[in-house]
Order: sequence, then structure tokens, then C-alpha cells
Amino acid sequence: MAYIEIKNLKYRYPKTKDLALNGISLSIEKGSFTGIIGKNGSGKSTLASAIIGLVPQFYKGAYGGSVIVGGQDAATTPVSELSKSVGLVFQNPFNQLSGAKDRVYDEVCFGMQNFSIPPEEMRKRADSTLERLGIYEYRDRNPFDLSGGQMQRVAIASILVLQPDVLILDEPTSQLDPAGSEEVFSVVEDLRKSGITIIMIEQKIDKIASYSDSIILLDKGEVVASGTPSEVLSSTMLESHGVKAPAVTRIAKALSFRKPDSSYPVTVSEAKELMDGRLSFKEVQSTPSPKGNEVFRLENISFGYTPGHDVISDLNLSFDNRPTAIIGQNGAGKTTLAKLMKGLLKPGKGRILFKGKDTAEATVASLAFSIGYVFQNPDDQIFKPKVIDEVMFGPLNIGMNQKTAREKAMAALEMVRLGDKAERNPYDLDLHERKMVALSSVIAMAPDAIILDEPTIAQDDEGKAMIREIIGKLSEQGMLVVSILHDMDLVADSFERVIVMAGGKVLEDGNAREVFAASESLEKAGLELPHITALGKALGAESILLDENEFLESVVRV
Amino acid sequence: MKSISLYRDNGTWLCRVHPFTKLMYIAAAIIVPLLLGTLWAYAVAIALDIALLISGKSLKRARALIIFSFTIIATIFIIKGLFDADNLTPLFSIGSVVFYREGMMKALRTGCVIINMLLSFSILVLTTKPEDIADELERHGFSPRLSYVISSVFSIIPQMMGTMDTITDAQRSRGMETEGSLIKRMKAFIPLITPVVTSSLINTRERAIALEVRGFGGKGKRSYLKEWEKHRGDKPMTIILALIIVSAAVWRVATWLI
Repeated sequence: MAYIEIKNLKYRYPKTKDLALNGISLSIEKGSFTGIIGKNGSGKSTLASAIIGLVPQFYKGAYGGSVIVGGQDAATTPVSELSKSVGLVFQNPFNQLSGAKDRVYDEVCFGMQNFSIPPEEMRKRADSTLERLGIYEYRDRNPFDLSGGQMQRVAIASILVLQPDVLILDEPTSQLDPAGSEEVFSVVEDLRKSGITIIMIEQKIDKIASYSDSIILLDKGEVVASGTPSEVLSSTMLESHGVKAPAVTRIAKALSFRKPDSSYPVTVSEAKELMDGRLSFKEVQSTPSPKGNEVFRLENISFGYTPGHDVISDLNLSFDNRPTAIIGQNGAGKTTLAKLMKGLLKPGKGRILFKGKDTAEATVASLAFSIGYVFQNPDDQIFKPKVIDEVMFGPLNIGMNQKTAREKAMAALEMVRLGDKAERNPYDLDLHERKMVALSSVIAMAPDAIILDEPTIAQDDEGKAMIREIIGKLSEQGMLVVSILHDMDLVADSFERVIVMAGGKVLEDGNAREVFAASESLEKAGLELPHITALGKALGAESILLDENEFLESVVRV
Repeated sequence: MKSISLYRDNGTWLCRVHPFTKLMYIAAAIIVPLLLGTLWAYAVAIALDIALLISGKSLKRARALIIFSFTIIATIFIIKGLFDADNLTPLFSIGSVVFYREGMMKALRTGCVIINMLLSFSILVLTTKPEDIADELERHGFSPRLSYVISSVFSIIPQMMGTMDTITDAQRSRGMETEGSLIKRMKAFIPLITPVVTSSLINTRERAIALEVRGFGGKGKRSYLKEWEKHRGDKPMTIILALIIVSAAVWRVATWLI
């Protein structure tokens, strides 16, 4: 019998109509790496919760079928008991810290104390695990002071010290910056080699393709495909279930490169094996997009949160109507820059002009007319019991009358495809939908410029496609869109101008092609290439190829 | 991260004293003068508090607490000195305002009680890590949940304050005035407080899960990473303090009976 046996599992959350899991049957062998993919709301996290018994023990609701983990029934074995066999790490690193310990070391030992592990053994396990995850040097730091990537590694360490047979990782990198994600992925890579059973839920399809022994595709709570990465990701039905195949697979498909078993390659190395030397690339000419009218001008800006430590120093920058992406690691000064532009922070030195007017003279609330800002976490702003009222809050604040405010709000909700949910309570919506509510609540104010802070976090492929569309529409309407982003694929195909920041300075400023050609600056800023660009480079393209179309137009099979 | 805990490890002996010994000291410092009922008992207790704080190099940090309490104590002196029901004997007067001896004595007693309490508590609070108090309580049979609440409050409150700033920014960004007249501020209250509450509810739910999967809900025995290093005076001192409390109680009862 396999280590995890799930038979005809059905589950419905309390007070909901639809089944979150609908007749799932699968078995997972010890020592395997299983990837679970699917769009938001497909039941991935619910399935993970069922394996560790949180469903139904913590969430309640209607439950049928069986989940047997290492011989224990997950529905009836207490979670605290089951957690000796199954470890769970989830998205938000912050909420996984116990909050009761002010040292990383004590935090990591918290679980072991609950399991009554003798102190000497605790120290042994904590030391070796911290070492293994590369966070030994932070052992005396306050876990809340760490970066997202470091915090997430602490969360993984806190679970690993319990030596579970199975480790479930539920989108562990979705809220991290590229460097943080890399830190976590390299840990995952290392664990994979160690032979521990891993179940990983992930939206980053290229990563899951290269790690997994097998992949399970979920949609509407059902297993719609399972098999090797090649089998599942080559499948033609993938996109109809809301998942985009890896860049490699899409290109190979378009160029009809099949592996001997007639499936398509899913990793760059597989693709290289098949395609290397069999492609010839034409050079792609860069067409610089024309500068528009100046909207923002930042003159000699300096700013620091504590005196003497400038996060941004002597920055000169201007923004015109071109949609602009700001990229760089956490701590590079991106959010600080955005908050300065919005007037939430006042520069220590220099001045910021918006359409020729100094913003220092205006209050934040009065700037709301012309500059919109969408925060990363929608829960920091949502307070109305109805979506429509939440979206009308901004428009009413800036003096629109009820009728206009309602019209603008409805139009904005239609844009984010939540028109049918206008009367719902925002807290009954999922996080990715709440993000869209927050976005529409700013769009409805019809500002001249809109600043988006990480709009793609928590979005699946469909959500990202929608954001791409929205950026296009807003730009067309003449609005300046400035976005802080970690998703390089979106940067490459949706922004006319890209600014690379590191250490409070601008390292690169140009169109996507220019910026992604500047490998030295990218490395300095800790940034990766978009997947398509990286593939092109690996296969010998001289030019920077930004998206699938461009790739296919410039290549010929030889 | 900013911690709201007042504890600083300054390496003095006072930081190494067991939290229970300090708790026993607080009990003694508060109960004994109460039982003895004389002002000089308070004077001794306060002098002892101060001496301990000096030797633990923490008096300076206790000062803020004392200064804060002075405003309250001054108010008590004024009210009691002027208006107490038992006031009979004029003590002194400022212009036409007469302060009475009886009221002033009562105020002095209340002032001593406040200062003594503050100082003895500050010995515990300034030199003991909240987590250590919680751990030791848990180890001696208190519920792990209680101990979790004690130690997590200190990190979760600063987090909530951080969230509050972000929320203020988010609402100002949507054109809400948070500054200005009282009415404007009152209007801003709901949009500011609702997200704080709901987002902490969401966080709490997630954190509860995170604790659960690390076996927090388990009913079995627990082990502890840190063994409290026995300070040589802890046990005798606790016993002596307990004896002092008991003797004071016996004396009190005895004087009543006689």
C-alpha cells in the first residue's frame, strides 16, 4: 500500500454550496516528489489540508471518503498527532511564526517541545537543520526581523526538525521576491535529493516541472490529469483548466519538437537536448517606444526612514505616459519610491512634481484625485460589508456624486470581472478576488496615474492574464501605470519601460529588451530573465526575445 | 522589530534571578506593608525596591514609570488634602486654599502603595523576559495556552501597530482625510479599525493552523529547550520571603485577637 492513500474524497466547506473536493482518489508513494497544480479555487490547498487532517478537523464541513496517511485515518487522528508524520508549510511566512519566540533558534524548537523531544536531541536537530537550510547565522535574530525568504526557511526548518515522513509545501514562494523564492527553491531542490516525500503545490509551473516525479492537475475539486510532468504538461487540455504550460513546452509544441515517447519537453535541459543546433534565430530589431508627456518629475530626491541612513539618495527620474515596471529585490527602494510619488512619504531632500506641481504642498487625501495607489495586501483596506460599497468609497471621498460613483465602481468591477459579485461580502471572496476588489476600488477613482504594488501576488495564470489586460486598457485611456513587479514574464510582455533598482539607485532604465540585455545589472539586482528570454538564450539566440510570439517569429527549424 | 517588552538583559545578577523568586518578592513587598499597616513599613519596602533596582542597574529605566505615576499621586494629594470627608486639622494653606492633615495622610498612604507596587513590579518587568515567565509558569503546571498568550502578546501588538500604519496609508490613498477636525477623525475610525480587526482575525486563523501542525494542541507531555540555571539564592530567598509574609499575617491576626 502506498504511504498516502486517498479514496473517493469529497469535501464541502461549511456554508458553501459546491464541493471543494469532489471524488479524489490517488496514492502517493514514500520518497516521491508530487506536484499539485491547478488554478485558484481548484482545491489544491484543501487537498493539502485533508492530508494533514485540518480538513475536516479544523475546518469542519461535510466530509466523505477516506484519507489514510501511514496507516492513520486523517479524518480522526488528531492533527497534533498526525503532524508527527506530515509537515505543512504554507504561503505566508509571517503567519507561520509562532509569535511566542523572539529567537530563530527557539522558534525552530517550538514544535519539538510540544512533541516532548529531549533537549539534547532538540539542539542536535535544530543545529543541523538550520545549517542545512543556510540560516544558522540567523539563529539569535528575532524571526520577525528577517526577510520573507529567510522567514520562510525558518518555517520550513521548524517543520523539518519534527522529522515528518511527508512534507507538504503549499505555494511556499508565492509571497516572496525572486531572491527569496530562489532561496526556498534551492532548499526544496536539496530536500528532493535527500529522499523525503514531498508534495508541492505551486503556480510556478517551470519549477514544478523540473522537480516533480509526478504531477496532479486539479480543477473544480477533481483530479483531471495525473502522470509524469511530460505527460501532464504536454496535454492539450491543460489550458482549458486554467494552467499555462511551461514556456519550454509551449515553444516545443509550436515548433513540433517531441521527445521519443511523443510527449513534449518540460525543462530547459530537456529542450536543449532536443533542439540544440536545430534552430536558427534571426536578429530582432528593437523599436524604442516614443516618450510621451511628462507626468512625474523627481528632482534630487533623498529619503531615509532613520536619519543618516538614506534608502534613496539623489535620485533623478521622470515618468511619462508609458506603462512602467519597477523591478529589483526587496529592500531595493521600490516601495519607498512609489510611496514618495504617492505623497505617503515626504522626501528629505529634493522635490517631486506631478504635472508640474510640487506634491509637497498637497495632503495625501487631496492627491487621491490624481494619483492612485494599490497596496499589496487588500485586507489592509477592505472594510465595507459589500463589494460595491468598498469600491465606491474612494470615488465618494473625492467628491463624486452617488450616481457617478456607482457607475465608475461598476465599470471598474466589470474590468476585473467581478461585476456579478458586487453585492457580495468581500470577505467571502478568495484572496485573489479581494486583490481585484482593491484594484478596482482605485481604478474607480479614475486617477491620472496609478501605482500598483505587486499586483500578481496570489494570482494564477488567468489572474495574471487579466492584470496584463487591465494594464493595457488603463494605458490606452491615457493613465500612467507604474507597477512594482516580481513576475519577469509580465514585465517582458506588458511594459514599455522597465526600471531596475538596487540599493536605492536606478541601475537600468529602458525598454524591456534593453534591460534584459544588461546581464551585469540584472545580476547585481538579483533578477532573473523571463522564461522565454532564458530559453532563447539557452538555445543560442543572440537577441533578447521577450515573448512567445517574438520567439516563434524569429526562429526557423534547420 | 520594535518590542514592547520592557525587558533588557543588562547582565546583572537581577536578570538571572528566577521569575518565581521575583513574583514572591512582589507578593511580599505588597502584602507585608498592607498587613503591618504602618507608613514606615512602606518606607522600608520602597527603600528595598530602590536598592534592588540600583543593584540591578535598572533604576534609570524605572524612573519613567515613577514620573508618570507622580501626576496621579499629585492629583490624589490635592483631592484628598482639600476635600476628604475626615478632614479636620488644617496642615497648611496656599492663599485661601487649606490643606488638611487627615486627607494628606491618606494621600501619602495611597501614594506609597502606588509607588511600592510600581517599583516592585518594575523589578520583575525590567529584568525578566516575558517568555521566561511564561515558560516557567508552563513548566510548573500552568496551561501552555496561557503561557502562549503571555509571550505572544509582546510580538503581536507591535505587529498590529505596524498594520495600523499601512491601513492609514491605504485609506488616505483613497482620499480619506485622517487629520483635521474631530468629526473628520471620527468618520475615519471605522475604515481604520475594521481592517485591523478583520486582518488580525485572518492572521490569527492562519497562525492557529501553523501552531496546530507543530503539535501545539497535543495533550502529551512537553519538553523544554532551556533549563533554568539555578541561581544560588533562589530557593532560600523564596522561602524567607514566604516566611515573612506568613509572620506578618500571624502578627496581624494576633494583634486583632488581643
